[in-house]
Amino acid sequence: MSEPGRRILVGYTADDAGADALALGARIAAASEALLEVVMVLPIEARGGVVPPDPGYERHVKERSRGWLAEASASLGDTVPQSLHIRYAASFAAGLLDAAHEFDASLIVVGTARGGLFGRTRIGSVADELLHSSDVPVALAPSGAREVPIAQGVTRITAAVGTTPGAVLDSSVALAAALHAPLRLLSLVPVDLPAGVDTGLVELTSAVGAQRVLDEARAALPAGVDATATVATGDTIEESVKALDWHAGELVLVGSSRLAAPTRLFLGSTASKMLRELPVPLIVVPRTSRKTER
Amino acid sequence: MTHPTPAPASSPEPHAPLTSASAAVDGSEHGLSKKGLSAGSVGLIGAIVIGISCIAPAYTLTGALGPTVAEVGTQLPAIFLLGFIPMLLVAFGYRELNSAMPDSGTSFTWATRAFGPWIGWMAGWGLIAATVVVLSNLAGIAVEFFYLALAQAFNNPDLANLVGNPFVNVATCLVFILGATLISYRDMQTTQKVQYWLVGFQLLVMIGFGVAAFWHVANGTAFDPTQVELSWFNPFEVGSFTAVVAGLSVSLFVFWGWDVTLTMNEETRGSNTTPGRAATLTVTIVVAIYLFVAMGALAFAGIGETGVGLGNPEIQENAFFYLAGPILGPVAILMSLAVLSSSAASLQSTFVSPARTLLAMGHYGALPSKFASVSPRFFTPGYATVVSAIVAAGFYTVMRFVSEDVLWDTITTLGMMICFYYGLTAFAAVWYFRKTWFASFRNAFFRLFAPLVGGLILTVLFFTTLIDSMDPSYGSGSNIAGVGLVFILGIVILATGVVIMIWQRFKRPEFFRGERLSKDVAQA
Repeated sequence: MSEPGRRILVGYTADDAGADALALGARIAAASEALLEVVMVLPIEARGGVVPPDPGYERHVKERSRGWLAEASASLGDTVPQSLHIRYAASFAAGLLDAAHEFDASLIVVGTARGGLFGRTRIGSVADELLHSSDVPVALAPSGAREVPIAQGVTRITAAVGTTPGAVLDSSVALAAALHAPLRLLSLVPVDLPAGVDTGLVELTSAVGAQRVLDEARAALPAGVDATATVATGDTIEESVKALDWHAGELVLVGSSRLAAPTRLFLGSTASKMLRELPVPLIVVPRTSRKTER
Repeated sequence: MTHPTPAPASSPEPHAPLTSASAAVDGSEHGLSKKGLSAGSVGLIGAIVIGISCIAPAYTLTGALGPTVAEVGTQLPAIFLLGFIPMLLVAFGYRELNSAMPDSGTSFTWATRAFGPWIGWMAGWGLIAATVVVLSNLAGIAVEFFYLALAQAFNNPDLANLVGNPFVNVATCLVFILGATLISYRDMQTTQKVQYWLVGFQLLVMIGFGVAAFWHVANGTAFDPTQVELSWFNPFEVGSFTAVVAGLSVSLFVFWGWDVTLTMNEETRGSNTTPGRAATLTVTIVVAIYLFVAMGALAFAGIGETGVGLGNPEIQENAFFYLAGPILGPVAILMSLAVLSSSAASLQSTFVSPARTLLAMGHYGALPSKFASVSPRFFTPGYATVVSAIVAAGFYTVMRFVSEDVLWDTITTLGMMICFYYGLTAFAAVWYFRKTWFASFRNAFFRLFAPLVGGLILTVLFFTTLIDSMDPSYGSGSNIAGVGLVFILGIVILATGVVIMIWQRFKRPEFFRGERLSKDVAQA
């Protein structure tokens, strides 16, 4: 893997979720001059103990998948350099992760499950498994990401910094540089006060805490990197997210939960709540990224 | 490895021309790298477990024991052994075809290659009909054991009587079929490890059942202690050719599914001998279990027509349902669980075969191309799976209200359908390989003698069953206006196939002109 530049891996399926992932992956790749690796993961047939394997059927599925990849590739045209792959794995998430390691990809892009209520984004089982096991940042393409034109590019990177900003901040700085996009720091300090506490107190602690986190984050920025800063206000995380302004071409980075094992992803409750209301793609970064320097 | 046939690989749908990038999709056919192939392969034990799961001995035996005894009495073991012969002979031809033309369409594709589109279409239809019939039977058996298990668990015999209520019965059955469809559609099949345990459990319970039966006989606590005799193994003692044929056509069903172990040659791990050893071991285990349990049941219950005697028409269509309590006593629920797990496994494996054949028929243009669609999320033949499920559910519902003995009638009908499409498959093997018959002694046996004799036996069974089943007293005695129900079912199923085929001939003439899948012959 001596090729220069970044590689963005798209976990493709021939449905709307896959189209969302492909469009988002292509947009990020185009904006950062990265190579797009489009991967379809097919199930290992013999993993079950009941249904006799059928090579004829396996060939049919593989051929069909090749057709799907060709269609996907044709829909992208020449906008971004790409290569197409078919992989076999016990699960979609495992296949993507193996491929990401193989290509040394800096980002895995997947779609989200359909059927979220009122247009909200819902994490599907695939994304969920990936979020629990990935040591590579994972971008979740919200439903409708396929409507955003590739030429839109990435207009802003928003880093949602919590009390321990380390990895998110580093990744955001690196990504903003690669994408030539401005950086915005956003503080959504989760207030873990017991229910029933005076709301005035909540607002006070929240606002003070948020400002402190932002100040710390700005101080931690490398020299020469500039960023705007915003404190989200609202009674709940959902309301805070709704109240903010979002660019159509924006990306939001969030760190994985403090409960996650180091270098593994896990979406915390704050991030889950954000995801539900967020109109733009969310990228989840492992707490201590292997790729912080990239 | 080159295959002379267009396996459903060359996709017919006109998609965008391959871009230079897509032409470079890695893992292509050449170079069988680990990436290019599904890495998983099946070992010896795995193949045996799949084989036993497909045969589902606990399920088939509870369904087949009664109807077979009704025809041949104590010569049950002889008929089970005899029924294996045509299945073995045909399976040899099946294996030859499978290695020459591996294809999801199996019988449909092979018969089309050998005999052309019309016969090929009907062979596919026969396979689909047989599997749809068995799906409804499976779900029906599962329903009965579900309520029996509930009754045993809660110590409330009234629960077991719920199966007699056709509305409760049909509603439960539809729920089971829906569940199996979801599992199949989403490809959530039982993992190998779980299935190892389930198959082991199933075999242990059946052995325990046989041991307990003989123990009751020895203790004098059996229902109708019957001396085991050598004559049980002598088919000539049955006395009537009609009875032997009727018994055979039921017993075919108990070995149905075994051929998958023979055909897992491309994906079994290890040497070329693995599939052969897996098939041999599978069939040895299954035959031993069948004989042991059948003899235990006969020795315990006799063939009397009262109580739990195997000659009692009341208990014949689901023998273990009635025998488990008297033989296993307090642990009878284990038998219910064994049959349920066996049915569940068989539902999973059985769902796949009509779906794959429908997919192949859609792919080659013998049916609407919608049937060839693959689910982009789960990579299963989604549309074909759902259609199979709807037809099986409809079939069971109608049958439950038309027939008093729906399980018995469906098994007899199934026997007839197996004869039909296995017979065609066997002849397809003989004809397709006609130029290679005498290339070697091996060929003469596996490509000419075995499938020809197997096919002829099945042909005789098919026509004899068809003619005998006209008699209103045939099998379970179900009849409509004095004509046996099994005959009506057989004719309706085959005639429906012919009607749909002619309809498709006008909708999709290319297939019937042989343009999508041409006739062929194996070259020496």
